[in-house]
Formats: sequence, C-alpha cells, structure tokens
Amino acid sequence: MELKRLGVLAVAAAMAVTACNTGSSSSPSSSASASGGAGGGSGTAVTIGVDFPMSGGEAPNGVPAANGVKLAVKENPVPGFNVTVNVLDDAVNGVHNPQQGAKNLNQFVNDPATVAVVGPYNSNVGAAEIPVSNAAGLLQCSPANTSPTLTKPDFGGLDLRKTHPDQIAYVRVATTDDIQGAAGADIAYNTVGARKAFVVDDTETYGKGLADQFVKTFKELGGTVIDGDSHGVGKAQQTDFTALLTQAKAADPDYVFFGGVTTTGGGLLRKQMVNQGMGSIPFGGGDGIVDGSAATSGSFLNVAGPDAAMNTYGTVAATHDIPDPDKFASAYKAEYNADPGSYSAASYACTQLILDALKNVGTGVTDLAEMRSKIRAYIANPATTFTTVLGSFHFDENGDTSQKIISDYKYDPDSQDWKFFQQKDFGQSGS
Amino acid sequence: MDRRSYQGLIVPIALLVLAIADFIYLQPLQFINALTIGGIYALIALGYTMVYGIIELINFAHGDVFMCGSMVTMAMLTGLGFRGAIHQPIELIAILIATFLVAMVVMGIVGVIIERIAYRPLRNAPKLAPLITAIGVSFILENIIQAVVGPQQISVPQIMDPQSQVSFLGVDVSFVKLFVIFIVIALMIALQLFVGRTNLGRAMRSTAIDREAASLMGVNIDLTIALTFFIGSALAGAAGVVQGLYFGTTNFQLGFEAGLKAFTAAVLGGIGNTTGAALGGFIIGFVEVNATVLGYSRWAEAFTFTVLVLVLVFRPTGLLGQQLAERA
Repeated sequence: MELKRLGVLAVAAAMAVTACNTGSSSSPSSSASASGGAGGGSGTAVTIGVDFPMSGGEAPNGVPAANGVKLAVKENPVPGFNVTVNVLDDAVNGVHNPQQGAKNLNQFVNDPATVAVVGPYNSNVGAAEIPVSNAAGLLQCSPANTSPTLTKPDFGGLDLRKTHPDQIAYVRVATTDDIQGAAGADIAYNTVGARKAFVVDDTETYGKGLADQFVKTFKELGGTVIDGDSHGVGKAQQTDFTALLTQAKAADPDYVFFGGVTTTGGGLLRKQMVNQGMGSIPFGGGDGIVDGSAATSGSFLNVAGPDAAMNTYGTVAATHDIPDPDKFASAYKAEYNADPGSYSAASYACTQLILDALKNVGTGVTDLAEMRSKIRAYIANPATTFTTVLGSFHFDENGDTSQKIISDYKYDPDSQDWKFFQQKDFGQSGS
Repeated sequence: MDRRSYQGLIVPIALLVLAIADFIYLQPLQFINALTIGGIYALIALGYTMVYGIIELINFAHGDVFMCGSMVTMAMLTGLGFRGAIHQPIELIAILIATFLVAMVVMGIVGVIIERIAYRPLRNAPKLAPLITAIGVSFILENIIQAVVGPQQISVPQIMDPQSQVSFLGVDVSFVKLFVIFIVIALMIALQLFVGRTNLGRAMRSTAIDREAASLMGVNIDLTIALTFFIGSALAGAAGVVQGLYFGTTNFQLGFEAGLKAFTAAVLGGIGNTTGAALGGFIIGFVEVNATVLGYSRWAEAFTFTVLVLVLVFRPTGLLGQQLAERA
C-alpha cells in the first residue's frame, strides 16, 4: 500500500516542483501563482472526494495525504471551475475499515458534484471500493495502494471490476507489490548476500502480497525460504512475536523479511528480534516500514529503536530521484507548517491528474454525470500522458502506472534515518 | 469449598498431563514464552473475573485499564530520564518496586473512580445498561490516551536488559521472562491469600454470594465493591508494567486485544473464579505458542476460540466453573 515515503522528502518535494511549474500537461500552469482560492469563486462547482484514514493509528499518513490534495487544488486552479475538496474518514475506531471505505465511496457516487476521488490509503479498503467506483464510472486515484490484486487480472483484479471490466475507473500512481516484493528479494540476495530467509507477514492484503512475492523471487534467485513459505501472524499476535522468533532462531536464518506495515507490527518485530538476540540478522521490508526517521514518533525506526534498526532495508514503490524535492516540501510547509507526509506528494499527483482532466474535457460540459464519465475516460486512456510532481507517466490497461521504479533504502545510523542507496527500474515495457 | 469427588479431579489431572506433554513437545524456550505471555493474560483476566464475580458486570474497560497502566509506566520511567537498561542491581530493584507501586496504585484509584462514576449509579439498573457503560468507558480511556500521547507505538524504557540471559533448565532464558513469570505468580498468590484469608476478602466473597445478606451481616457493600475494583485494576496496572518491561512498547489500542483475550481467559476458566481466570490465561498463552510452533501462527486466534468453544460445550460454566462464586 503505501508507497510511502519515498525518501520521504524526496518524494514530496519532487512533486512539488513539477506541479507548480509545468502544470502538467494541461494545465494550470498559470495557476501556480494564483491564489489560494480554489478556482475562483465563480464557475461550475465540482468536488474532489478524498477517502483516507483520518483518525487513529494511520492518521499520521492519512492527514498529510489529504493535505496534498488540498494543496494541489489550491495551487492549480482550473479556469471555469470552483473546485472543492470533501474529505471522508475510512477509519473506524482508529483502524482503516473496508466497509467504511465502500460507504464513503457510495456517498461520493451519490453526490453529483463529485467528479473524481483521491484515495484510499490501504489496499484492503481499495478492494472494497473498486467495485463501487467501477459500477458508477467514478474515477478514483490511489496514491498509496500497491496490492496487485486490485488491478492485475493474474491476481484477480477482474473480480473487482465486474460491472465494467473494460472501463477502468481505478488508477494508482504507486507501482505494485509484486514488484516491491521482487525488489526486496533482490536486496536480500544481491545486496546483502543472504541465502536463507525467514519471512513473516501480517496476513493483510498488502503484507501477504509483498511477502509472497519476496518468497517467490528469493527462491528464483537461488535462495532458501525457511519452512518454504511466509509465516502469517493474525491481528492478535501482532504485538508478541516472541514464540515465532524463537522458532526462527532455531532455523538460523541469515535474513528476515517482513510483509506488513509498522502499525501491524513491523517495528515491534525488529525490536523483539533484538531482544531475542537476533539483532545481527539483516532485516527487510517494503514501503510499509520506510515511514520516517527515528525521530518521527511511531515510525518503524522509532518503534524498533535506533540501535535495533541496524542492518535494516526497505523498498519504496516510487522514484527517488525526482526533481526539486525542496520546492514541494517548502510549499507544503508554508501551507501546513509541517513536513510533508509519505503520501502527500503522491496525493498531490493524483489531484493533478484530475485537475488536468477537468481542464481538458470539462470545459463547456454542464451535465455533471457526463463530466464524470469524460474525466474517467480521459485519465484511464493509456494514450494520455501526465506530467506530475512524480514525473511523467500514463496508466496501462489495468490502471497501473507505467512508472515501475523501486527505490531501495537502508537504515543509516548516523542520521538515524533511511538512506537511499539505489533505484531500480522493474518496468518491462519501458514507459 | 470444593468437593473431593472423582469428577473434581478430572480437570486438574487432564491439565497436568497436557502440560507435561506440552513441555516435552515445546521444549523449554517456547514453554517459557507461553508461560510469560499466558501470565500477562492471566493477570488481566483476574480483574475481569473479580468484577464479574462481585457485580456480574463484564467490565469491558478493563483491558484499557491495563493499557493505561503501561502508559503510566512509560510516563514514569521516561519522566525519570531512563532510556535503557539499568545495570546497578540495587537501583534496578528500587526502581522496579517504585514502578509497580505507582502503576498499581494509580490504576487502582482509576478503577475505583470508574466504578464510582460509571457503574455504581447503574448498580440496580438492567444488566445491559452497565455493560454499555463499560464499553463507553473503554472508548473514553482509549481516546484520552490517544489525545494525550498520540496514536503511534510508544517506547517504554526497558530498564531490565532484555538481552541478559540466565541458564534455566539447561537453556539460556531471557531474565526478563523469568522475572515476569515470577511477578505474575507472586501477585496471584497474594491475591488468593487476600481473598481467602482476610476479613476484607471474606467480605468480598460474601458480597459475591448474596449482596443483601452480606449487607445485613454488616458488610459495607459500596466499600467492598470499590475494593474489588481497586485490586482488579491494580493487577491490570501491574500487567501494564510487565508489558513495558517485556515488550518495551505500548499503544493506545493495546487494551482491546489484551482485554478480549483476558475476557476469553476468564470465561474459559469459569468467570467469577480467580483460579480459573489465571488458568485460562495460561491456557491461551499455551494455545497461541503451540499454534506458532506447529507453523499455524496465522490461525492462533482460531485455535484459541476453538478451545474456548470445546470447553464451553462440555463445561458450560468454564473449566473451574463449579467453584463459581455461589459456592465459594
């Protein structure tokens, strides 16, 4: 799911830049200067729906992502439209909830002024929402979902878009876990030189997908996976990995891989590895654990502890080397008096697509239902190339981005933060 | 209080056989893991079962009292400036005692306040009313903590070096685990002695059996119930300290899962029965560890609840349900 912080700032920053300057293919370049207002008070009133976990444990990711949308709307006004943002929370009792996500999507569908949606954050929420947006033909762009099951026919993506299998309504700017898992295995095998891995997943859509792909690729590269498969831990075990680690230790692994996020136990697993005397074994994970420096409260590095995080690797399904990251970060900081979150830039990019479509196909369209359908068709069209803060890309026939770049990070004890060390392009077809 | 019949011996003997077989299967390291996590569940379960025993309320806020206990531990140790292990034995013991005392007393008082504000006014209301109130208190505690410390995982200074090991049963075992097991068992014994041997304990037992009759015999009901909440919540507070020592982290949502498991433990052992609750906690710890050792860690909860269902099918009042409060 998360494309997480690409090198945190980097990402964010990146987007910023492009966003403002190029204004993407379409538009609003002028906008940059413009005012903070949403497109001027007059003009057709349209709404961009936003669905993220805005409360509870994932609020630290959801809130900055929603801010990315608001910042994009503010910085890129579309002439003739008055764009507003409607943010709904998909967390129930502090935890992202697929049913709540589907309910929110229905609310957007039933609001004629909503022309497109940015969200969700979690892949399992996406699985509940895609049937809704697909049936309604309402374009939805996720900044963070990385589960291949949401889009790829080989992973069951068609099951989610049964109503209009050929009309893609769900697109995403993050690449998929099957690629991130492969990148994780690449780090373990080629960078670390590990040959015998112990794999744990949190049994969620994201974590399991990531771990399964790691297992597959690691074996293909020639490595051995202890017990042949990933060890899933149910929700109740996500605070106590002691027994599992005692098992792992007996098998003497030279790498431990975790498919999951910090809130489902990533940091605790690493911390408990150290408590069990397994701290010298290299540890890896996906973007779910690359979520900020040790000083960021609640991040993987913070939960595990700076010392425990030694020899930890992570991947991020995003481009590290994006232009002018500082510009986005400073624009964001000026607006919200905080550093951008891991998904702020990606949410900004999603919003850019929508504003771009609005500008290109929306002018003169007064029927909001028609507008919705035109926006969907414009964005999903593989021939449309977008220029965003994340760079240039288009969406393929499943709604996945043509950018398949994975950035690899390692914990750096000096800065007590993740440090980018390489970026690999796993895209087969080029863009 | 228990009848020495053939039937009464079935459960203990079966459990003993199972424990021995499991020890051979699990090997000492995992056996100790199971005792440790089971002990934490047991400590929380005691509070559930004591409250149920005396006012027949399933105190859903109890898991959150445990969570608050871990937060008190975090606040205290962080506030005192500790960051890692204390290697001075005397200082360590002094700080440990102080931490347990503070966390237990603070949470005991919180428990009494909760009872006074949220449950006592509803004591004679239909049973559904206090149950809903309890759920409400649970959310209130979670939200307060979330507002104060935030939603993320918070580190608790691990003042006992988690990596220091001692040789035990031929294997190197983390000292913290043995300490946790020791504390849990010591607190349980203290509770049994208190309930079984003191006048206040007798008052608690008589209130559990028949509140009106106890009151006619001169037992101060309000005080006795408040005392029950104090002790139950203090034990949850102690479990919170243990959580901090053992795992080194806490979170505002910690109480939900822990509470659910402790509640399950209390039902498994026969709700209202303190020995049963302790037993239930250990059983759940063992079931989880066994599931992991078998390679079915993702099914651990299913295993736990399967055991619960099986026990309830054959013994609807739980393993030690015969000794329910009515017969105490």
